[in-house]
Amino acid sequence: MIQLFHVTKEYPGDGPALQDVTVSVEKGEFVFLTGASGAGKSTLLKLIFCDEPATSGQLLLFGRNVAKISPRSIPYLRRNIGVVFQDFKLLPRRTVAENVALPLEVQSMVPKDIRRRVKMLLRSVGLEHRADKFPPSLSGGEQQRVAVVRALAADPALLLADEPTGNLDPERTLEVIELLTAANARGTTVVVATHDRSLLERYKRRVVTLERGRLVSDGDSVRRAAGEAR
Amino acid sequence: MSFRPVYFTRRALEGMARGPYVALVGIATIFVALFATGLLAGALGGAERLLAAWAGEVKISVYLDPGTDLAASRAAVTAAAPGREVRAVPAAAALRQLSQELGDQAHVLDGVGPGVLPDSVDVLAPGIGLEEARSLAARLRTLPGVADVDFGNAWLEKLELLVSRGRIASVALFAALALATAVLVGNTLRLAVFARREEIEILKLVGATDAFVSTPFLIEGVLQGVVGAALAVAALLGVHAGLVPRLQVAVPLASVLRLGDTLPSGLLLGLVLGGAAVGLLGSAMAVVRTLRRS
Repeated sequence: MIQLFHVTKEYPGDGPALQDVTVSVEKGEFVFLTGASGAGKSTLLKLIFCDEPATSGQLLLFGRNVAKISPRSIPYLRRNIGVVFQDFKLLPRRTVAENVALPLEVQSMVPKDIRRRVKMLLRSVGLEHRADKFPPSLSGGEQQRVAVVRALAADPALLLADEPTGNLDPERTLEVIELLTAANARGTTVVVATHDRSLLERYKRRVVTLERGRLVSDGDSVRRAAGEAR
Repeated sequence: MSFRPVYFTRRALEGMARGPYVALVGIATIFVALFATGLLAGALGGAERLLAAWAGEVKISVYLDPGTDLAASRAAVTAAAPGREVRAVPAAAALRQLSQELGDQAHVLDGVGPGVLPDSVDVLAPGIGLEEARSLAARLRTLPGVADVDFGNAWLEKLELLVSRGRIASVALFAALALATAVLVGNTLRLAVFARREEIEILKLVGATDAFVSTPFLIEGVLQGVVGAALAVAALLGVHAGLVPRLQVAVPLASVLRLGDTLPSGLLLGLVLGGAAVGLLGSAMAVVRTLRRS
């Protein structure tokens, strides 16, 4: 699903955000990407959803070399990727239903089908009654659930979440992670960037750790490392 | 991307409703530019019509060679200028008329016999245009026994040059105004696009193509252009309705002015299409810049 070979990302006038990262994520996996602030988690996610190009190395996404994908094809590639952000990135002047409908509109789904799917999605997260509200009137937890539902609306093969629980209290955090694990159970590959150790401990999933742009551990070793740290 | 006109137009209208101030500024900019352009074009069209009417009062005089049959020449001129009033002016009558025109100075003609002036035929051509006058004069010159034809060539040539230069100036001014308007509208719409950069970012995040993102903005530009142009057309019609009757009272010659002279339908249609084109161009400039940066 995702394969990175010796990927480096540098920004002009700054040190490398990622250095020689080699890692792969298989279809159907649930992976936590962890590390301190500035470790390169967000940069790695940006490379994966083609927001920025790698400086060197090779990134394969769905078996395709991202560097060789034309800019015109990137939107079509992104339709297979759902993205969730810490700050939700909901449109404040569009209703909850309209926000969730965005990926479906982009894919030219018939309006009647969009309405039906949005209703079903909102019902699945207990927000059907909030469909006509505007995001600023929702709580942080509700907004993040809307963001997750929007990311999943078009049934993407891959879901990327960048600190999706960073602004949430523990109860809301669990709600959101449950949504992600449920999507994973339905077959969606999920990559969650987080620095919340409690999540890694609670959900025994693969953990990829970055430190100053370098991959320092992957999988069981991190779990052991987390165990040792405890 | 499949083209869905209703969907994109709805999104364009929603965009305008969410940012009415920016939309109003865009409409106002286009209105001012097109109103100024239309006013200039209308004034020029009216001036051309007035000048043509003024020129139309010119009497075309056909001077005959000595010994030419005046009655036969009159008949020939009548045939060459159908529908025009034609008068035969014998030399003696011409001398009398000249004497009357000289008034107190008529004594200068003392001792001048009728043979000094040629017989002539006058063609009265009210409302004739410059080109038509020139063409008629050329036809009259070819008639047998015609020595010369005079229709005030010297000042008419100057007049025509003036009108022609005015036309060139108005085209240049229109081009400059159109360009300035496109830039102004482009900058105004850039504000609209900038205000919605978050929406653009999120749309691109969920897989929207550039065409999907930009189409509503382009429609918005066209709508603003059409609304601004429609307001400009309405204002121009209002100015015509308010100004021309007053002008006709003050200047009798202006009675020839019709709406089609100052604001022909071609000009009004051109303004509306021009407004739409300027709006489209401005929004395209704005959205392309923003997409290039996002």
